[in-house]
Amino acid sequence: MINRIFRTTFAIAMVILIVALLLFVGILYGYFNDNVFTELEAEAGYIARGIELSGIGYFDDFTTPNRVTYIDRDGDVVYDSSANPVDMENHASRDEIMQALETGESTSARYSETLSENTLYYAMRLGNGDVLRVATRQSSLFALIMSLMPPILITIVLAAVLGLALSRRLARRITEPIISLDLDHPEDSDTYEELSPLLRKLRRQNDMIKEQMSRLKKRQEEFTAITENMSEGFLLIDSQTNLLSYNSSALRLLGASDPQAGQSVLALERGESFRKVIDEALEGHHSEALMHDGERCYQLYANCVRHNGQVVGAVIAVLDVTEREEREALRREFSANVTHELKTPLTSISGFAEIMMNGIASPGDIPEFAGDIYSEAQRLITLVDDILHLSQLDEEAPLPRSEIDLRAMCESVAERLRQPADKAGVSISVTGDSPTVTGAQSVVDEIIFNVCENAVKYNRRGGNVIISLHDKPGEVELSVSDTGIGIPAADRERVFERFYRVDKSHSKEIGGTGLGLSIVKHGCASQGIALSLESEVDAGTTITLRWNKKA
Amino acid sequence: MRSRFDEQLSILNTEMIRMGALCEEVISLASRALTHGGDAADRAIAVDAEIDRKERDIEGLCMKLLLLEHPVARDLRVVSSALKMISDMERIGDQAANIAEITGYISGIDVPEALHIGDMARATVKMVTDSVDSFVKNDLDMARGVMKYDDVVDGLFDKVKNGLVDLIRGGNFDAEAALDLLMVAKYFERIGDHAVNVAEWVEYSITGVRSNNETSEVSGI
Repeated sequence: MINRIFRTTFAIAMVILIVALLLFVGILYGYFNDNVFTELEAEAGYIARGIELSGIGYFDDFTTPNRVTYIDRDGDVVYDSSANPVDMENHASRDEIMQALETGESTSARYSETLSENTLYYAMRLGNGDVLRVATRQSSLFALIMSLMPPILITIVLAAVLGLALSRRLARRITEPIISLDLDHPEDSDTYEELSPLLRKLRRQNDMIKEQMSRLKKRQEEFTAITENMSEGFLLIDSQTNLLSYNSSALRLLGASDPQAGQSVLALERGESFRKVIDEALEGHHSEALMHDGERCYQLYANCVRHNGQVVGAVIAVLDVTEREEREALRREFSANVTHELKTPLTSISGFAEIMMNGIASPGDIPEFAGDIYSEAQRLITLVDDILHLSQLDEEAPLPRSEIDLRAMCESVAERLRQPADKAGVSISVTGDSPTVTGAQSVVDEIIFNVCENAVKYNRRGGNVIISLHDKPGEVELSVSDTGIGIPAADRERVFERFYRVDKSHSKEIGGTGLGLSIVKHGCASQGIALSLESEVDAGTTITLRWNKKA
Repeated sequence: MRSRFDEQLSILNTEMIRMGALCEEVISLASRALTHGGDAADRAIAVDAEIDRKERDIEGLCMKLLLLEHPVARDLRVVSSALKMISDMERIGDQAANIAEITGYISGIDVPEALHIGDMARATVKMVTDSVDSFVKNDLDMARGVMKYDDVVDGLFDKVKNGLVDLIRGGNFDAEAALDLLMVAKYFERIGDHAVNVAEWVEYSITGVRSNNETSEVSGI
């Protein structure tokens, strides 16, 4: 803008200067011309008077800087001050002569290109009918301008220098208020009146932008609040798989650090199922997949985002389904186990019954077979009982709670186990304090019985089981230690699972349903009892139950 | 507004990640074929074919970038190192496919755990994963880690070799299978070397200096 103003003012100044100079020279020239003619007329007047007084002889001692010609009425040159009249042609056809003969006087100007000079003529008719012509040479306009050039140039240069400085300063002065405008508060600025509509509009637009920005920001914050508080991962990508948006859960689930803006989502995760899901979504299909990453398991959902019928990106949701998958695996294992455990006694029963039905068995063996059928049926009943029991515990039907004398309960359990313990050559003893706790009598009894039964079953001949009770401040502790075979470290977590057995091959000999410790675990959970297990292979196992007194 | 060149560079990067992921997949499949059998071998060979296609695609993309966009400085390094990297990745794919093929011949053989060939497979998978990771994350330390880790794989190769010699001397091991296993070990070792190359190109694209164990440092562009 400064440049433009500067250039314009400078150009205007220069044009005005040059036009003024030209006009000046032109007017001057016209004025000089008039002057010349007046002079010529005056001189012609004097000469005419002289001729009238002394006749043609007047020219004999006549000198003048101008050219004087005397022509008779026929056009023949009688006298010429600068040439021999004899050599000169008839002048009757010359403009100024013809006009002077007609009207009495005339002026004429002729330009001589060879001399680049104007010749100005003044002719007058004398009283005797002859014509007197006075002529003078004058430089042309061009020659005049040329001769005036040095002062003109000096003037132009001076004017240019002055114009440059002034117009630059002027441009600065004009633009300064505009430059110093505060665009954030346009109406506060002290500037040209003509700019105020513009500034008003600017302020309105500023306000509008501010409002829209705050609205957008609010919406963005809402969106962020929603996505950031989701435990599910959320990713938005464009059609080139570049990451557009994500929440922190997505980064956590994918185990990625902060991605750079515009980075490909594949930089976060490039596993096969992840790539497949993204590719399918970008092809325009809904896509789902399970993704395993070490021990964790993730469910991926991807959907394409369409704009004007074209796929422009995809939304990917990542869910941690590790626990769900684990539970499902456990359930599958459980149903497989239940079927297996139920089928084994049934097969035996069916086999014995078939032998008896076909009459293959001798009548003497029948009681034995019947006994086997009976014991297998008993096994089935216990198993079904245990399963029912477990599902009861699963449903957590609230049982009446009462004061329990733990010592008495332990002794009763020991008494009930005396017979199988004697059979296995294992001694049971109860030691320690006599604390009381609150809980459901039947459940606690079942827990202690199952723990002790296992301690007897998985013992060795000549071993012992010690049930010790400690009434500590804050908690009651009951531990059952055996001197049995112990549980390998790898199985310690799993012995509480349904049907899990450390030694699968010998389960039949030991008996039981494989649900004992599972019932213990569920019972403890429902009664608020802390359960812990310590074991050393071939040295024994200690299971400890702890009641928190405050609870 | 992103320029066309930036967009193409980002596509190149994404394609490289995809190719790297395929390399990880092919080597995991090959080692699975070795330890578990099943259809892993066939799948490894299929993934190798995909890696070959990807190599041609990326090569074309790099050429286009070089010819049409005239990248300079860092961008040129990125494109040129991508060109070199894909040939190493392609070799990884080929050698993993070779391992997968060999597993077909030795499927009946019970590979002793003491032979460390399983460890070697795991170590190589780790190297390939780390080298691809170092590319994805532009992680110089990780790339250098891969270069150092090559010694572990080399050490394991010697162990496997000695173990096989002992087995053959013992007399009750199929000598042909032993040779096949040696080939497998050698392929793993070569894959490790290629992973190191990839890591070196990552280092070059970041620093502009390519370090090489055998020769002195060569300064780059």
